[in-house]
Amino acid sequence: MGGALLSLALLSPAIPADAAANADALLIQRCSVCHADARGQLARIAGQRKTPEGWLMTLVRMQNTHGLKISDEERRALVKRLADKQGLAPSETAPVRYALERRLNTVEQFESEALTQMCARCHSGARVALQRRSEKEWAHLVHFHLGQLPSLEFQSLGRDRDWFGVALKEVVPDLAKQFSVDDPAWKDWQAQTPQPVTGTWSVSGHLPGKGGFIAEMSVKSQPDKKDHYVVSWQGKYDDGSVLNGQGSAVLYTGYEWRAHVDVDGVAWRQVFALDHDALKGRMFQREHDEIGADIVAVRHESGNSRVLAVHPAYLKTGQTGTLTVVGNALSGKLALPEGVRLLKIIEQSPRRIVAQVVADRRALGVHTLSVGKTKGGTLAVFERIERIRVLPEFAVARVGGNGGSEARVDARFEAEAWARSASGEYRIGLVPAKWSVAPFNADAERDRDVEFAGAMNAVTGIFTPAPAGPNPARHLMTNNAGNLAVTAEVTDGKTALQGTGQLIVTVQRWNNPPIP
Amino acid sequence: MKKFSLLATLILPLAFATPAITHAAPTPDNVALEKNTAAPLVPGREYMVVANHPNLLHVLDLVSNRVLKTCALPDAFGPGSIQIAPDRRIAYLLNNRFGSIYGIELDACKLVFKADMALQKDERAKSFFSIAVSQDGRELYTVQNPTLLLKDHYEVGEPRLAVYDTAAGLNAKPERLFPAPRQTTIMQTGEDGALYILGADLYKVDVTNGKTEVVLPVRDWGRPGYGAPDVLYAWPIQTPRREFMVLYTAPRFQDEKQDLEHAEYKYGLLSLDLKTGKTEVRDFTTLSEIYFSGIRSPKDGNLLFSVLNGLRKFDIAAERQIGSADLDHAYYQTSISHDGRRLYLSGTLNDVAVFDTDSLKRITTIRLPGGDMSLGTAQVFIR
Ligand code: HEC
Ligand code: HEC
Repeated sequence: MGGALLSLALLSPAIPADAAANADALLIQRCSVCHADARGQLARIAGQRKTPEGWLMTLVRMQNTHGLKISDEERRALVKRLADKQGLAPSETAPVRYALERRLNTVEQFESEALTQMCARCHSGARVALQRRSEKEWAHLVHFHLGQLPSLEFQSLGRDRDWFGVALKEVVPDLAKQFSVDDPAWKDWQAQTPQPVTGTWSVSGHLPGKGGFIAEMSVKSQPDKKDHYVVSWQGKYDDGSVLNGQGSAVLYTGYEWRAHVDVDGVAWRQVFALDHDALKGRMFQREHDEIGADIVAVRHESGNSRVLAVHPAYLKTGQTGTLTVVGNALSGKLALPEGVRLLKIIEQSPRRIVAQVVADRRALGVHTLSVGKTKGGTLAVFERIERIRVLPEFAVARVGGNGGSEARVDARFEAEAWARSASGEYRIGLVPAKWSVAPFNADAERDRDVEFAGAMNAVTGIFTPAPAGPNPARHLMTNNAGNLAVTAEVTDGKTALQGTGQLIVTVQRWNNPPIP
Repeated sequence: MKKFSLLATLILPLAFATPAITHAAPTPDNVALEKNTAAPLVPGREYMVVANHPNLLHVLDLVSNRVLKTCALPDAFGPGSIQIAPDRRIAYLLNNRFGSIYGIELDACKLVFKADMALQKDERAKSFFSIAVSQDGRELYTVQNPTLLLKDHYEVGEPRLAVYDTAAGLNAKPERLFPAPRQTTIMQTGEDGALYILGADLYKVDVTNGKTEVVLPVRDWGRPGYGAPDVLYAWPIQTPRREFMVLYTAPRFQDEKQDLEHAEYKYGLLSLDLKTGKTEVRDFTTLSEIYFSGIRSPKDGNLLFSVLNGLRKFDIAAERQIGSADLDHAYYQTSISHDGRRLYLSGTLNDVAVFDTDSLKRITTIRLPGGDMSLGTAQVFIR
């Protein structure tokens, strides 16, 4: 699959107002050659519902494997129409949004071990859970898999069982029940009134290796283009550096926000879910999706008073700190927990309050703040750090470059601090750390993985893997793979604390489909 | 019958461009190739045949340890699983991305047989390392895994055992078709005329009527004290011992509780004597590294050699490693000379490593024109 083909290029020329009707005509025009059934209806298409990325993957396969001829613009129109007409309800995508948001270090956990072994070993289980099909369509999918990938039943977790028999007799009926095309959630969702998205949004986010940021995002309709928007952003990281950008967005299925935003010459994608004047999701670099920020946003025009977040989200006792509270329609007094003393208000507006404060031991713990009657945002007050966790606990980096077609994939780690109170452990937040790597086990030590696999930036926690390809300096001329223990060292006053995680440095991911 | 183009020395340097990892520029041996392409094989002399990228078949003289000749193959490479006919004149080769079987008369590098696995236009059919020749050389066997590629959907079909007449020429169609179990791979023919096929079990097939029985249960082997074995074996090696042998790994439980976590994983061999039909299952070591293939000595059936990242030698009865050699890169396949004195490592890249079976010292390395052998099977035979 061509990587370039697969990105949902959203800076698309106008789709006219009757885009839906045009797309329906296009479906008949372009798809009937192969998909017309005996009654002249389109077969195979109605019995499935999926995300925009899911439809994109199917259409790209129609092009690459079966020779469907459509322009990029037509494909965009078809993805839009199919995702609107046969999409997934928010409740259906909620448990597996990590795949759409490209959180590729997620360790999946599905109830059904059979499904995990049968279906989640080549791609994520989320790829399965992000589709709804009739039983017949799930069965077609199994035939397609074995027909297209005939070695599948000889691979590990294929050859230990009658893969095809189990797939048809056990997995298909199970999928049809669990992920049914007729799930009432979809009917309910279609009956809802459309949610507004234009206006100005307060955004709070956090980018690993860099820190928190606060931004304002303006969203305007594109003329004559239903569900298409122009976006611009202005913001600042907590460290003061700026974060400005602009781009465009499409709203699929009434809530699936997909935007391309150019931030200082770097292309970023936004994969958010719209939920009653709030946006939530992840924004990541298009070419390096491992670099991404968690986002929450609230729309000003909603008039809803909301506290989004507090930056920074923690405070050490005895130290003077500056807190920024972000939100919407904030009015009234900033209420601080007992033991946190207000020194002065530096700024107060309906969207932002900046306050200088100091905390004592009475405030130890995690507190929800409030502004006037509105509650929201959490502040953790701690005296000392008890424990450091490395996030993610397990990550994968990939060698790349070196003349090959695949860029390397960095790994980004963060140190999460925890404190202890009488009632148990509580999370402080993400704290700066000194980063290092060591061999994970004896094999890694013998093969000198630390030396060959890449370099850890001691300050940012970003691991940059080594170039791809065989390395003549290595035992058996293998490539620059490695198995490393990642250590974060955090100094809290005079105490040094450590947390560890694991990093697997492995080979390139040769195809990078929209849903992993 | 059409003669297909013999490989001219000229195009060889181009052939080096494809694979990601190649070692050799053409050596003086290879340059002399053109003269040798038509060289007939000498009766009584030992040879190896092996195929590689981009799509070549080589005959190696195992007396001089040189490439004797190189034939260009039609269509596409992969996997390059070879079987030598009983008269040792023809090499049959599964190739063309698991999609066709070819017969190549080695003396003249001449294509004498071709069968496509797909039997109709809208079908895709693959054969997984599945190729065997009858004891009289008249029939060729393979299991084909078909899928119908219909207008708007695919339909996976039942695997079928296809029997070909080896004299059927370049557009061979099966003489007989029988239903076959799913998930079968390599096969060999016994001296009793039966066809033995490895799959979820080891099957014995009567090639006249397709009647299939299990001669050795594998997936559900029911071996007391053991969990299910895992067999992944892509090399239908025609051994001097005349045995059909593959390696397995399997958990051996500590006790009745059959706790997989605390089980000890064993490496072992499943073997069928092609002369007598007798089967054998036995462990030879505790699993500590992966081997792709192995072979027993024709002189002493208690000696087993295995390979992947290293070459290892085992005393089977003692379940003990008694020799080992480091390798410059991984090799997938072991072959052995008929006198049991030389071991040949092939597969993976584009050189064949020659070892002394007693000392496990490397004698030489035979570099092949062209690229990777990948998962192909080399065969050692006496013409
Ligand atoms: C040249 C023939 C051809 C054309 C044109 C074609 N398709 Fe397909 N389509 C196929 C085949 C063959 C399959 C079954 C194999 C597969 O799933 O890839 C298929 C399967 C599908 C499926 C089921 C996929 C699944 O995952 O189960 C969908 C949905 C689909 N096509 C949609 C479309 C749409 C929409 C168009 C027009 C924009 C289209 N196709 C045009 C040949 C075609
Ligand atoms: C051997 C690897 C492998 C296994 C096992 C596997 N898949 Fe897939 N799957 C693929 C590949 C490769 C594709 C992409 C096909 C394409 O679009 O070219 C895919 C695509 C898909 C898609 C998207 C198809 C579409 O166009 O909408 C779904 C859904 C899916 N798989 C579900 C499953 C289910 C359910 C199972 C278990 C029964 C399964 N997969 C097992 C490799 C695998």
